[in-house]
Amino acid sequence: MAELQCIVVTPEQTVRETLADFVTVTLFDGEIGIGPGHTPFIGRLGCGEMRIRHGNESERFYVEGGFVEVVGNVVSLLTNRAIPADKIDEKAAYQQMETARNQAAHTPELMAAREQAVAQGRAQLRVVRRAIG
Amino acid sequence: MAKAKALDRRRKSIRSIRKITRTMELISTAQFRKAMDRAVAVSAYAKRIVALVGHLTTAGLEVKHPLLEAHAETSNAALLVLSANRGLCGGYNGSVLRHGMSQLKQLRATVPEVRLEVSGKRGISAFRFRKIEIAERFTQFDNKPTFAEVEVLANRYLEWYQSGRLDRLDVVYTKFESLGRQYAVVETLLPLAQLDGAGQNGNHDENPNSPHIQYEFLPSAASIVDEVVPASFKVKLFKCFLDAAVSEQIARRVAMKNATENADSMIGSLSIAYNRARQGQITGELLEIVGGAEALNK
Repeated sequence: MAELQCIVVTPEQTVRETLADFVTVTLFDGEIGIGPGHTPFIGRLGCGEMRIRHGNESERFYVEGGFVEVVGNVVSLLTNRAIPADKIDEKAAYQQMETARNQAAHTPELMAAREQAVAQGRAQLRVVRRAIG
Repeated sequence: MAKAKALDRRRKSIRSIRKITRTMELISTAQFRKAMDRAVAVSAYAKRIVALVGHLTTAGLEVKHPLLEAHAETSNAALLVLSANRGLCGGYNGSVLRHGMSQLKQLRATVPEVRLEVSGKRGISAFRFRKIEIAERFTQFDNKPTFAEVEVLANRYLEWYQSGRLDRLDVVYTKFESLGRQYAVVETLLPLAQLDGAGQNGNHDENPNSPHIQYEFLPSAASIVDEVVPASFKVKLFKCFLDAAVSEQIARRVAMKNATENADSMIGSLSIAYNRARQGQITGELLEIVGGAEALNK
């Protein structure tokens, strides 16, 4: 069976470049699963979990915003942040969510920023809690 | 005796200075490696963004975004000068500041409101010395600027630009071209003149002969553009910071290497002078003894 090539890059480093059987990423509105032979597409990422399965092994990352591009069995992710699931700081994520939640927001922009910060914190927590089991 | 002793003292102090410059050279070599790796990583990211934009234009989409359009009137400009936090790096800070000064003068002549923002202690003190007001100063970007830090800055500029508080953003930094060549440049980052990769019909694709691929866009091509344009601005700004960091390390390494070599040659010539002085002294003493003995014999 054909394999996928999966590349995750952030502005600071190439986080992962690996072969995979199946990749799951979180788009702006929910998860999408990408197997070999997927139709070419460019999608906007949301913040959430990314899973790379190769054989019996599976890797999990927290990914925050950016794009995913799939073409010819190559999945490339361009994202601002990609953290391996076991490296997420649970306390910091919780803190971020709480401070964002308690912030006053008077304008639509501030509200949007707050929503985003809360969503980011929540997504991180979700990823990290799944990692713990 | 006095002369030889003084020479020896000088030689000792130069030796300890040489130790310092040599260590600094080694440190900046190591830091340069690290900074270089980061610069390579960001250019990999930037390349992918360019490719993405290329694919978007191939799909027959016109890339339009408020950030790409210049405002009708430029009444608010910002100038960001990236200098180093530390000195001892040769002409690095000097050339950035020289460019910054002349650009500032030029902007002040044409634009009514110019905001000066400076990163790096050296730049801050230079502008303060010239009694030029700095609107915002940063010292947190040392030799390892992180994307998260730069993003905060970038987001602020983007917001200002879109709300009309800012019409133009210039960045003065030292561009890293190769190991042997870095130079200070002024780059206009806002308005983004053109998105790299746009308007080239995607020909820069890794495989130029590949047939045009029909992409699916989720949620829509327009929404991807909305996201790509700010992302490419952020990456550009981040690249400026990284280039500046790499160039600083190179400049420091070269400066310290020269200093070490100079110290070496100074130690050499001082050693010769010292040996000569010591020898002269010994000869003098011998002569005195011989002369004394001769006088006694008579």
